[in-house]
Amino acid sequence: MYIPKPIYDPDERGHFDKFGGRYVPETLMPVLFELEKFYKNIRFDKDFWKEMDYYYKEYIGRPTGLYFAPNISEELGAKIYFKREDLNHTGAHKVNNTIGQVLLAKKMGKKRVIAETGAGQHGVATATAAALLGLECEIFMGEKDVKRQELNVFRMKLLGAKVHPVKSGSRTLKDAMNEAIRYWVTNARDTFYVIGTVAGPHPYPMLVRDFQAIIGYEAKAQILAKENRLPDYVIACIGGGSNAMGIFSHFLEEEKVQCIGIEAGGLGIESGKHGASLNAGEPGVLHGQMSYLLQDDDGQILEAHSISAGLDYPGIGPEHAYHFEADRVKYDYITDKEALDAFVWLSQKEGIIPAFESSHAVAYLKKLPDIKDKIVIVNLSGRGDKDMIQAKNLLDF
Amino acid sequence: MKKLIAYITTGYPDKNFTVDLINEISEYVDGIELGIPFSDPVADGEIIQEVNKRALQKGYKLQDTFEVSEKIAKNIDTYWMGYFNNFYHKGYDFMVNKAKELNVKGFIIPDLPYEEAIIYEDKFPLISFVAPTDSKERIKTILKNPKEFIYLVAYAGITGADKKEDLSEIISYIKEITKTPLFIGFGVNEKTAKEKAKDVDGVIVGSAFVKVLLEDISSNEKIKKIKEKAKIIKEAIN
Repeated sequence: MYIPKPIYDPDERGHFDKFGGRYVPETLMPVLFELEKFYKNIRFDKDFWKEMDYYYKEYIGRPTGLYFAPNISEELGAKIYFKREDLNHTGAHKVNNTIGQVLLAKKMGKKRVIAETGAGQHGVATATAAALLGLECEIFMGEKDVKRQELNVFRMKLLGAKVHPVKSGSRTLKDAMNEAIRYWVTNARDTFYVIGTVAGPHPYPMLVRDFQAIIGYEAKAQILAKENRLPDYVIACIGGGSNAMGIFSHFLEEEKVQCIGIEAGGLGIESGKHGASLNAGEPGVLHGQMSYLLQDDDGQILEAHSISAGLDYPGIGPEHAYHFEADRVKYDYITDKEALDAFVWLSQKEGIIPAFESSHAVAYLKKLPDIKDKIVIVNLSGRGDKDMIQAKNLLDF
Repeated sequence: MKKLIAYITTGYPDKNFTVDLINEISEYVDGIELGIPFSDPVADGEIIQEVNKRALQKGYKLQDTFEVSEKIAKNIDTYWMGYFNNFYHKGYDFMVNKAKELNVKGFIIPDLPYEEAIIYEDKFPLISFVAPTDSKERIKTILKNPKEFIYLVAYAGITGADKKEDLSEIISYIKEITKTPLFIGFGVNEKTAKEKAKDVDGVIVGSAFVKVLLEDISSNEKIKKIKEKAKIIKEAIN
């Protein structure tokens, strides 16, 4: 049974070196202390993880497979495995975390959960968990994304959630998170904020990682069973970084495994239109944490750009910023065009349609310089169903 | 005499207007919270968000806050109110040196709570926030060494909301443990000022003033209107 095994934990105030922390209005500090204390008590508690284990297996459908991709492996002259998070209930890794957080909310006696969402995957996964566990659910989504992801908006409503279109700022994920924080400050006493990625104030980056690290826990056992050795590379895409942190965490204790995080290169780093916070940003504070951010000379936050709404965010989780500076994890990027090519490549070579987000990780297989004869695991964080309308407009078949 | 602190966003519609406005209202106002517009003001309600956004669209730069401070801070107590990223990105020490050079009296940074503020504490006065969600134990920790004044947030929420909470217990506890002046902010306007100011030493008014900046009237009319509001509030609290 999975129980978190922290390899890199933040200090008692939530810092991964200088990153992380709790940069929130004072009103929320007692709420964060309450959550931290509550989580500390159950973090390694067998009964809690037994309950999680039930949902992981029976509801989400875990363990997900570690699929050996024969056709792509042959083309690249390497052994390529995909961790099939796309086969989870609701279609992505997001649900691993939302079930955990909504369960926490319920145990803490909160009556309502809120969440921000970009593409709508985290919103759908939160609405799903709230429906399952019987809590009220309100979702904040940028007005631009509400239009781009009409089907996910309907899914959330069908699941019983209320969706608030956010009209402020750039009307995307960053602003949805601002608005969710404002609602949270206003309803601090009875509302639980289900953050969708390894970001936000402490203890969220640690807590979300714990719920997602089951991905790496399974993948490590699976690759050892199949290959009798560890992989050379583990690759995952990064917006806020939860699927990456999830699959990396159990491999980070193995020095020989190189983890690689792939940021959204958008139209190219030089174009300024991208979501590559580590590759092109600087340290700063946003949404309750210190991390790398896309920002101007005065420290104003810049808009991100990516073909994939899930990577369209100007920041990144603080633990990634920490591994970046410590050079423990390598961070590179993939452009919109490369991701779209990989989206088609994987669909036609293996019969698996990946999400645009995951397509960034897939695309890196073609960019990795010394891939020959290596064993590589790519985290296939989500499936491409949600991207069909956008793909149809971009591709000519 | 209870005090009135006015929050004014720098640079909307431009920095000269900000200076003129502050000079005019200083007749009724005891201190200025000079706002540094930020792209993502999570503690603010719609009014201040909108003014922040418009100031940035008009090309506001941090330099404007320095220039406005240079013109006003000698005449009226001035505090910089902004989100931590602007301070951090420019370099906290740089901001402290600038503030000292320009006679600014302190920083008000809503997303820099006690634990994160500790390492900056000795550099320059940082105003402590107390929230209605805080326990007595928490308040005692936060107010170990308060500077200038204490900013009591009137309700769990964002600026400019029509919300009310019973703060009598918190106020009497703060008064019990410190002599530092206690000011209340959030949701203070012409109608609420008298009641909110009841047991404290002053009020901080932001949205009620800044709202006028969004009205479709001339600059002179805006200044006149805000000055009138300041007069009403100053009289109401005393």
